[in-house]
Amino acid sequence: MPDWKKIVREELGSLPLSNGRKDEVVEELAQQLESAYEEAVAQGINEQEALRRSLEQFKDWEKLRGELFHSVEGTRLPVWEQKGLFSPRRWPVWAALGLALLFLAAPAFRQALAILPVPGSDPTASGPRIFSDRALRRLELSGDKQRYARALAFVALHSPKEDDLRAVNAAEKAIALDPQLTWIAAKVSHATYLYPGYDPHPWVERLKAWDPENAYPYILEADANIHSAWESRWAKYNAATPDLRQALAAEPGWREPMEKAFAAPRIDAYNTQTFALDRQVLQEQGLDRPDILIVNTWAQPIPDLTAMKMYAQILLRDVGASAEKAGHPEDALAAYRSVAQFGERLQVASASVVFMQDILANRLQQEACEKMLPVLRRQGRTQEASVVEGTLAGLVQADPAKKSWPSFSGEASRKRSARIVLFSGAFVMLLALVTAAWVIFLIALKWKPDLSRALNRLASALCVAPPLLLLACAVLFLGYYPYALPIAQYTSAQDLRQSFGPFIMNAYWSLDLQFSDVWLVRMFWPSVWGAVLALAAAVLLWLLARRQRPDDTRPA
Amino acid sequence: MAPTPDTELKKGNAELLILALLEDKARHGYEIGKLIAERSEGVLRFHIASLYPLLYRLERRGWLKGEWEPAGGRRRRFYRLTHTGRKILGEQRTRWRAFSGAVDRIVEVRHA
Repeated sequence: MPDWKKIVREELGSLPLSNGRKDEVVEELAQQLESAYEEAVAQGINEQEALRRSLEQFKDWEKLRGELFHSVEGTRLPVWEQKGLFSPRRWPVWAALGLALLFLAAPAFRQALAILPVPGSDPTASGPRIFSDRALRRLELSGDKQRYARALAFVALHSPKEDDLRAVNAAEKAIALDPQLTWIAAKVSHATYLYPGYDPHPWVERLKAWDPENAYPYILEADANIHSAWESRWAKYNAATPDLRQALAAEPGWREPMEKAFAAPRIDAYNTQTFALDRQVLQEQGLDRPDILIVNTWAQPIPDLTAMKMYAQILLRDVGASAEKAGHPEDALAAYRSVAQFGERLQVASASVVFMQDILANRLQQEACEKMLPVLRRQGRTQEASVVEGTLAGLVQADPAKKSWPSFSGEASRKRSARIVLFSGAFVMLLALVTAAWVIFLIALKWKPDLSRALNRLASALCVAPPLLLLACAVLFLGYYPYALPIAQYTSAQDLRQSFGPFIMNAYWSLDLQFSDVWLVRMFWPSVWGAVLALAAAVLLWLLARRQRPDDTRPA
Repeated sequence: MAPTPDTELKKGNAELLILALLEDKARHGYEIGKLIAERSEGVLRFHIASLYPLLYRLERRGWLKGEWEPAGGRRRRFYRLTHTGRKILGEQRTRWRAFSGAVDRIVEVRHA
């Protein structure tokens, strides 16, 4: 005769019933098995078959164990006593958690987590985010002058508008520490820095002295000279009318620096230097963040295209046309050549990175060639005319405005990847929080198993969080992997824009502009806070209801 | 998730069956399981694995009282109705009669 109590005890395992109730339950179930066995044997069934039939009455012992506990105690089994697939007593849930944590060892996964857009944050204001005043002070005290100078330059280049003063002060210090960084003066020379007492002129003069062959400081100077005086006047003019050109041409403070800009041998907005500095600073800070790098290139100030276009039109339509009418074709050609050459320099400076700058560079050259052609033909300079004609044909063919828009949105796979990364990233964040809460609950319940029935129920339900976290981590990793590249491996801003740009653009666009601008920025955290309060209120009401009616299984 | 009406009916039926079997005399679990199968002539099948949790639940609610008593040379846990259990049985029986009567009146009508 089998030892029925032993069988039941072994099958049930741990059953933490109070006041010796477990022994009673074991005895009662053992009697059920024994009686069924005896009855089968009495019917002439052999012992082995009788034993099988008897045991068949309780097929799922784990389920029975849970139901017995629930029936006797009126609550779920303590989470540490459960034996389900993902219960904390079994290895799968810890293996899932371990594997999820193991993803953090993969640089691609860390990068995927880091690039996820955070609601409410300004992606262009990386300066103060990376370098707080305290962080800068630490760098200063470290004694590494070069690194400190680069950090200050980074702050000067990438601070939000409200931090203009901090940016200007940082630029001052950075250049004092390393004069090779004087190019950052181009950023703080903008007349749009409007804090009290700010004057861009000393910065422009410094830049001109440091880089005299560059057209950029002169364009900044032209803007600085008229910025405050013209603020109220811009609205009076339509940009297309000759009145505006004439009014601007009559301003020596604007016309003269623009003349110098068009005569300067090169134009450089320091894109290459900015990219190199940003990348080095990010690497020094241990931030493998292509998103910051690319957003910084997007936020990079470019020379004032309107001013350049305006001055080119003055040369083409006013100076050149007047010279032609006055019978001075050489003067007219000089004006037209000046525009064409400036267009060439602008195109070189753009390096196909700044799309609008590319368009303007091409258009200026086209218009200048179109103006030059009839003058040259009238003068019988056919050879020169045919060269200009060839140049014009090439410019028309290469017109960036006629090319398709850079394929940010057209590639379905990148759009899909961006969405997968966004959604799985959000799930990873959420499930990581839930898993952390679950671990805390488990620790609390291990310390005191009868701490709270609600907590036990919650911890039991949240056992699925680690496997789900592992799944979300795997999806995030696989979704982002094709775009994961250490920032050190991008050769230039152009390379970064072509390789990483379409993906990150789709990631931002997937958030939907209105949604991210209005809802996410203003309502995300209030909504989270509201949900937490609602949850707390619901739990409180439920606890109160439980206290008033301890046994809620009573029939209505 | 709210239980389906079908599940509620089965759960209610099981409770009613057990309360009814204990109306006249105290019985132990094995006997209750056998009686359900015998008296329903095999129509009602009651999973033994569900019987004991149900007995304990009814006991916790105060509808039954279980006590160890000697029987056939061993001790067995006998269950008997409490005052509350008897009251509940009356209510459930009334509801069941109303329900089964209503079903009968619909099912047994022959249309001319």
